[in-house]
Amino acid sequence: MAIMGTFAFEEDFLAAAKNLTSSGFDNISLLSPLPLEEAQEVLGLGKSPVRHYSLAGAIFGAISGFAMAVATSLVFILPTGGRAIITIPPFLIITYEMTILFGVLFTLVGFHFISGLPAWSDRPYLSSASVDKFVVVVEGADGEQAARAETIIRDAGADEVRHVEDGQ
Amino acid sequence: MFDHGQPSYADVNKDIISTMLETGPKYWTLLGITVSVAGICFFMPWFYQLIVGVGAAGMNRNAVWGSYLSNFIFWIGLSHSGTLLSAVLHITNSPWRKAIYRSAEAMTLFSLMTAAMFVMVHLGRVWFVHWSFPIPNQMGLWPNFRSPLMFDVMAITTYLTASSIFIYMGSVPDFAAVRDASTGLRRRLYTIFSFGWRGTAREWHTLGWAYTFFAVFVIPLAVSVHSIVSWDFALSAVPGFHHTIFAPYFVTGAIYSGTAGIVTVMYCLRKFLNFERYIGQVHLDSLGKLLITLSLIWTYINILELFSTWYGGTSFELEALSFKLTGFYAPLYWEMLLFCAFVPLLMLFKKIRWSWNKMLVISILINIGMLTERFIIVATSQPRKFLPGAFGYYVPSWIEFSITVGSFAIFATLFLIFIKWVPAISLYEVKETLRPLRRDA
Amino acid sequence: MSTIVEKLRQYSKPGYYDKFDYHWTMTIDLDRCTGCEACVVACQAENNLPIVGEERFAENREIKWIRIERYWEGEYPDIKMGFIPMLCQQCDDAPCETACPVYATYHNQDGLNTQIYNRCIGTRTCAVYCPYEVRYFNWFTYTWDEPLEQQLNPDVTVREKGVMEKCTFCIQRIRIAKDNAKDDNRRRVRDGEVVPACVQSCPTEALVFGNSNDPEAKVSKMMKSPRGYKVLEELHTTPSIVYLTKVQS
Repeated sequence: MAIMGTFAFEEDFLAAAKNLTSSGFDNISLLSPLPLEEAQEVLGLGKSPVRHYSLAGAIFGAISGFAMAVATSLVFILPTGGRAIITIPPFLIITYEMTILFGVLFTLVGFHFISGLPAWSDRPYLSSASVDKFVVVVEGADGEQAARAETIIRDAGADEVRHVEDGQ
Repeated sequence: MFDHGQPSYADVNKDIISTMLETGPKYWTLLGITVSVAGICFFMPWFYQLIVGVGAAGMNRNAVWGSYLSNFIFWIGLSHSGTLLSAVLHITNSPWRKAIYRSAEAMTLFSLMTAAMFVMVHLGRVWFVHWSFPIPNQMGLWPNFRSPLMFDVMAITTYLTASSIFIYMGSVPDFAAVRDASTGLRRRLYTIFSFGWRGTAREWHTLGWAYTFFAVFVIPLAVSVHSIVSWDFALSAVPGFHHTIFAPYFVTGAIYSGTAGIVTVMYCLRKFLNFERYIGQVHLDSLGKLLITLSLIWTYINILELFSTWYGGTSFELEALSFKLTGFYAPLYWEMLLFCAFVPLLMLFKKIRWSWNKMLVISILINIGMLTERFIIVATSQPRKFLPGAFGYYVPSWIEFSITVGSFAIFATLFLIFIKWVPAISLYEVKETLRPLRRDA
Repeated sequence: MSTIVEKLRQYSKPGYYDKFDYHWTMTIDLDRCTGCEACVVACQAENNLPIVGEERFAENREIKWIRIERYWEGEYPDIKMGFIPMLCQQCDDAPCETACPVYATYHNQDGLNTQIYNRCIGTRTCAVYCPYEVRYFNWFTYTWDEPLEQQLNPDVTVREKGVMEKCTFCIQRIRIAKDNAKDDNRRRVRDGEVVPACVQSCPTEALVFGNSNDPEAKVSKMMKSPRGYKVLEELHTTPSIVYLTKVQS
């Protein structure tokens, strides 16, 4: 069972979110049509772990890029232009590009892992949340807790409160 | 920021998404024209060339590289504004970026694709182009990673991948908005495109971080891409190519022509999609100032190139220089200086910088100048290499002219398709620039 | 393990392939050259060079692996003419080789700058990078009118459109000579056993070809001549062809 409160104003929405977290509700989602730093602070989201993926990708790319350049030039020994077979300066350029390529790809993977997307199954959502409405969703609250959450949301000035069944 | 009063959040959604959902006959006519021009001017001559051989173009023994390669550099250059500028402005938190960056990034993507087409057109045996990719094969043969062209392959594929991811990830929340505003098949498609985005604080947070990292990766990448393109030339010993200044020269030129390209595209978006409300004087003014700065840097590097050639004083270099300044293609050289060094100075005047029509003309002139700049580099250096016995000249054939025209149609086609599939202005970032709605207001 | 380290050390050293059995070299005595172009014709016949026709020639698209460049010195009537046969210099530090993204040109064990037609994708970078402009591109697929196709050399590939080609020092003849030497249980090819078409046809013996790793070879002795120079030596391409300058009276 999930409770959804819709707000027209950013400040009310943030107030509701703050009250909910301070009252011990931890399974809440804050839907907004634009990124709100305050909302992220309410949920205590600091530095995102996505940066670890970026770093790992960059390191992996650098190593694999250089290794690819060296290994492939050792498969057949084909000297060109009097240069060495393992030619460091040009291979560093390959390394550089591969660092960035894998940095970007790993960041993408990290984004999907951390955000839980793609998630095409139905989750509590209001289509106006992508236009101009701010929505607080409290999940996993039953009976008395649900009533308490609803009061908090209504007190903050919600336009509308809905109860949605899970898995809907 | 907004010339015609501040729109509400709902207005933003309605204004921008309606350009995608409502398609008039004007759009279809335009699309029909660009598709047929691309087909007739680009693909048909190209197929003819594939059957006959690259000899269908005007290149000869004295200049084995021709307009295909100079157009390739031009399109790569045009791609440099979008993603690079967008990333730099994202990192530096410039608010005027937000209304224009989506279409600027699209420009990057599509000019890169057009540039890639020119590689295909340029190659003698394009049907073996996959040999230049590091694909494991039964013969155990790999590409030569010492080759500057191989740097190009790596750089451009990375750039294409990174900038597609950059523009796609930035659009995910907007795809969700389109999903919510549409029905039927379109709704199902955009549900897939948007990954089921809901806009929760956690999603925004992760996207913000990931996006910043994409930007951080893309900036050095974009700089490296055009440096590497310049090394295709600078790593040879050919007089006129062999300059250490080439990497910064090409990067500056790329950002310069790209920024001019943004002005042109902004004009068209404003005109045809009625984005007057979102793309205003602030953007034009900022882009104008950027263009002046870039033009001055570009002019400086040009003078430096002439000076260092003259000061170096080797007979080969001087011969190449005098061919460039006074030879067969000298009129083109002076035209380039006029369009890229002198005309942009007009933007010092606020009256010109603030006028959309005048800026459109200047931006197009700059890009004509930059197109010829690349052509001059390719066409005047090769016929004056070392041995006077092999001096000559090169004139493009009608096929090359036709393919050049067709490439613009390809770009326009891709862009026209883009504006119907992706919101051309970022919805959520425009909303960020609006004052939040308050109860007491 | 130690062999791997040794190998890696060897491979990261430039020009490690200096010490192979052969280093094919040519000397061109400009004092003997009359500019008769017999070498050009011989090369055309030996290496299946296409006959491009008048129109293509005017477009500067002829294919001549060896060409005679003609230079005039001074003003009429006090005028002098000079010739210089120009062919692939088989550079040890060849700029063209590093340029190829697919290894279609590389340095083989005989110190030859080889061109692999089947591998070429036609980027033409090698031709741009070559300071001697001796790389020729097949702008079209050329055909031979009857009965000219009967004279094609079966030892040499006929190239198709989109492929770069250049002088190979008649690698097919080198190949045959090496095979013969192997059949006779000789380790080396004898001096004078390999004669490229241009050298064979030169009436004044201006061209001398041989293995400069062999100090007794004729070409090694010719190279030591005080008249010797290399074209565009300042670019450090280290060409394998030594020109002997004209004796000025």
